[in-house]
Parts: sequence; structure tokens; C-alpha cells
Amino acid sequence: MYSKFDMRDAFITALYELAKRDSNIIILSNDFGAPALDRFRNDLPKQFINAAISEQNIISTAAGLAKGGKKVVVYSIATFITLRALEQIKIDLCVMNLPVTILSVGTGYAYSTDGPTHHATEDIAVMRAMSGMKIYSPSDANMSAALVETITNLSGPQYIRLDRGKYPIKHAIGNSIKNGFSVWNESSKPKIAIISTGGMFHRALAVSDVLSADGVDSLAIDLYQLKPLQPEVLGQVLKKCKAVVTLEEHTQNGGVGSIVAELIADENLMLPLKRVAIKDEQLYAYGARENLHLDRGLDVGSAVDGVKDFLQKINC
Amino acid sequence: MASNEFKLVANKLRKRVLEMCFANGGHISTSYSCVEILVALYFAGVMRLDPKEPKLLSRDKFILSKGHGETILYAVLAERGYFPEEWLTTRYRTGDCILGGHVDSKVPGVEVTTGALGHGLGVGCGIALAAKMDGLDTLHYVLMGDAECSEGSIWEAALFASQHKLGNLIAIIDLNGIGSLDYTKNYIALDSMAEKWRAFGWNVLEVDGHNYDQLISALTISRSDINKSPTVVVAKTIKGKGVSAFEDDPVWHVKPVTAEFLELGLKELGK
Repeated sequence: MYSKFDMRDAFITALYELAKRDSNIIILSNDFGAPALDRFRNDLPKQFINAAISEQNIISTAAGLAKGGKKVVVYSIATFITLRALEQIKIDLCVMNLPVTILSVGTGYAYSTDGPTHHATEDIAVMRAMSGMKIYSPSDANMSAALVETITNLSGPQYIRLDRGKYPIKHAIGNSIKNGFSVWNESSKPKIAIISTGGMFHRALAVSDVLSADGVDSLAIDLYQLKPLQPEVLGQVLKKCKAVVTLEEHTQNGGVGSIVAELIADENLMLPLKRVAIKDEQLYAYGARENLHLDRGLDVGSAVDGVKDFLQKINC
Repeated sequence: MASNEFKLVANKLRKRVLEMCFANGGHISTSYSCVEILVALYFAGVMRLDPKEPKLLSRDKFILSKGHGETILYAVLAERGYFPEEWLTTRYRTGDCILGGHVDSKVPGVEVTTGALGHGLGVGCGIALAAKMDGLDTLHYVLMGDAECSEGSIWEAALFASQHKLGNLIAIIDLNGIGSLDYTKNYIALDSMAEKWRAFGWNVLEVDGHNYDQLISALTISRSDINKSPTVVVAKTIKGKGVSAFEDDPVWHVKPVTAEFLELGLKELGK
């Protein structure tokens, strides 16, 4: 149903259907549009506010609207809303535990040639530091649309981060999003699990496909809910493997690699881990997305080679 | 309540704040500059509220954006009966302090958690807008410090409130001319406060922030015409007002109240 959409338009299309039935749903846009948003604005003008380029005030106003019983979706570019308004997110949303959804677009290097000002390469790190904040990072349009359901009975703040562009549909409509992750290329005795999130999950799946074809049985895990984790359930999956690799378009400090490292430590899994991420010194750059990936070893070929080297080093 | 009774209440609140600051700390001069403003709001019938029903849908709402003025707000709320008066000694900045060093919405009567400056007006915008969307006739007051107006987020909120004609939103500026470290005139261009708000599309009222007649008149806003511009009451105040040793001296923003100043203050307030 949502296959013709990217994740952003899929979400807004599903949100439109919900908002038609629930007049308490309000979008606060950071002067930011989308093709699907045009219909929402036109048909539901009382439920759409262009709150201008004012990230701090948008979060504070969203908090106030939530206190007044509204179900607010703040819609913005990922790096702007998470970094510019972080104190408002902490105090106005998290400390008061208000049900506000931050819907952001442009994860990682999605706005590649727009440069570091537009790259959301720290959003997971900062948002997962916020107490009580749920974080979703869907990997296809169906899952993105399914996340709209969370708005109806939301009890606290949540952050939904969306990549730009279209990705292959991997999740069927109606699939539960309650597990927080899905496992792909399952085998009875996997050697390695490759974990990623958002659009980069498809890269992880491609790496897993190549490795499996080369005789290295590997799972690909789509970690679409980054917070809270279900550590025991995820730990049970990882325990079947001999090593773990994370692959992400995010700084190495505090992203998926850090989440998995903490999980391995906290659950006492004793598993070797390789983190493929953007190194601190390589963060800020301009370039086409594929060039940025090649330079940072995030492309399929580099990731496959990196995993093989890693397995050799740990004698696996 | 008659005007002379307001003065008695204010005097009682100042003594209580002095004792609280002496016992467990607090920003004494910040609290003292806005005593009359809070008395006007909470004791003169300006705000529609019922301390026995603090969550009533029809209540007006007050946000202390200058959250470090918690001592006076807690004293006011206790005096109005939102929680037991003994909390001011047993649970203020001590032990399992529900009454912490900045206001917290978990406290009965407190609407919004504040402490970091520049948040209150934006949250007030959202609360006022939600009320307007739902056709409520409630009013929403946000008290800010003048030095707090250095925060860019306040001016973002000022633009938003003006654009959305939040006539049910009333900002109050506690214009005492002192920040944390110094007189504001020495470090930031906050002069012409009224003109600044007027330029942002607000209905501006300038009052003596220690004069009840002026305060009550300015803060009494029509509930029937909320589709007008938001109102800002620029209240000229004296930081530390009420005890001459504390008045108009930047040092008292953070200076602890010692036994010497407790005695001195109580003596002056006891007149």
C-alpha cells in the first residue's frame, strides 16, 4: 500500500488518515514540507501549523499543546530539531514526560552535498541520552506508516527518524513493530550478526547476502527501535553468533555501535564486536552520499572486506 | 481582599521567603522583586483558580519562567492552600525535597517545570493555543525576568504568539534591571523593553510592579475577546524589594542569607 512512497510520505499519509478521525492530532512544521503534507495542510488546516524556523519554540509550544491534550507531531529536519532544541527536548518534553512525537527527516548523510550543517550524524547519540525518549528508526515505507499507530496512546516523548529516498519494502503491512528488531538471513548456526538501522539496514542486508554467499553465515538485524531496547530478547539472538558487527551512517560515538557494545557488556554476552561507523575525524564533509560512504568504508565492498578481516583477527 | 490586606500578605510572604532562604537557600532578591505581581495574581481575584481543585479544566494557569524564583511561588501556593505550609520548612531544598531549587510541575499548583531560562513563554504559547482551539475562556500568565529576555527562544515565542493572536496569553516582565552578575545596562541592550515587545506585535502595558492598582488593572484581561494580540505587562520593579539591604544590588542574586541578614530583614519587615 505504501510502496509508492518514501518513508516520509508514507508516515504523513498514514497520519492524515488518523488525523481525519482525531482532531486533537496537530502537526507543527519547522517551515518544512513534503508532497504528502500538501493534502494534510489543505484538508485539515486547523491541524497544521507552520511554526516557522524556530526549533526551540516549536518544542516548547509542542509541550504546551500536549499539556492541553493535543497529540502533537513536530516535523523537522533531523539535525536541526535534535541539536538546536536539545534543552527544550530534555526539559519541556522529557522532564515533564509529555506525549509529543518528533518526526525528523534526513538521517546520516541523507542531505549529502548540503554538507555538515545538514548531516544528522549525531542524532542517535544525543536523543538516546534523553531519559524516557523512545527512538524509532524504520527501514521502509510500510514500517514508517505503521509507526503512526504509536501516536494514539502515546504516554511520553518519542523520536522517529526517517531516511530520505525510497528503499525496498521488506516489512509487510500489519507486521508487529513491538519486537523492536527483525532478523534476516536466519540460519541454524550463524557466524556473525550484522546490525544496522534505518535506510542503512538495507546495506547491512546486502553485506550479509555477500558474506553468506562467500560461506560466512551471517544474520542481518534491522534494529528499528533504538530505545528502549529489549536486551534479553536481542541478547538471545546474538548469543547464537560468534561475533557481531554494527554498520551505521552515524558518528562512532554513541550510535548503534555504542548501543550494541553496551548491550554486550550489560548482558554479559562476551562477544567480539566490530563497529563500522563514521570515525570522529571523518565526520564533517561534503560529497555525494555514495562518495562519502566509499571514503568511510560504509559501502558494501568495504564492509564485507572489513568483516572478513575482523573475523580473521579474532580467529573466527 | 482590600489593598491594605495585600500589603499584609506580601509582608508575610517576604518573611517566609527570608526564613526559607536562610534555612535552605534560594534567590532572595529574585523572589522579592515579584512579590506584588504574585499577590495580584493569586490573592486579588485576577486568576480564576481553586486550590482544592488544582487540575480543574476551567482554571487559569501561571508559569514561572524565571524558575529560580521558586521560593516565593512555593510560599504563595502554600498560603493559598495548594499544599501544607509545613512543606516550606520540611520539604524545601532539603531531604526528599519535593519543593526543589526550581519549580517542578509535580508540585500541586505548579503548571510547568522551569529552571533553564527562556522556556516558559513557548510552553505558554502551546497551552494558550490548545485552550483557544478547544474554545476555553481560560487565561495564561507567564512571568519572566528582564535578564531572561536575552534568551533568543523568548523572541521566537513572541513572534509565534503574535502571529496566532494569542489574546489569552499574558506575559509579565519583572523589569528589575539586574541579571545574575551585574546590572543589565552594563552588558546587554535590554533597554526600551516596551518598544521591543510592541515591535513584535504585542499589546504592551507598562506598570509600577509594586503598585497593586496598576498591576491588577493591567493583569485583568477580557475573556471574551481572545482573538486579539497577546498582552505583555512590563512591570518596573526593584530587585530585592522590601528589605533595604537587598534592594537593587546584584550581589543578592546568589548571596546566601546569613543569621545577621535574617535578623535585619525580619526586623525591617516586622515594622
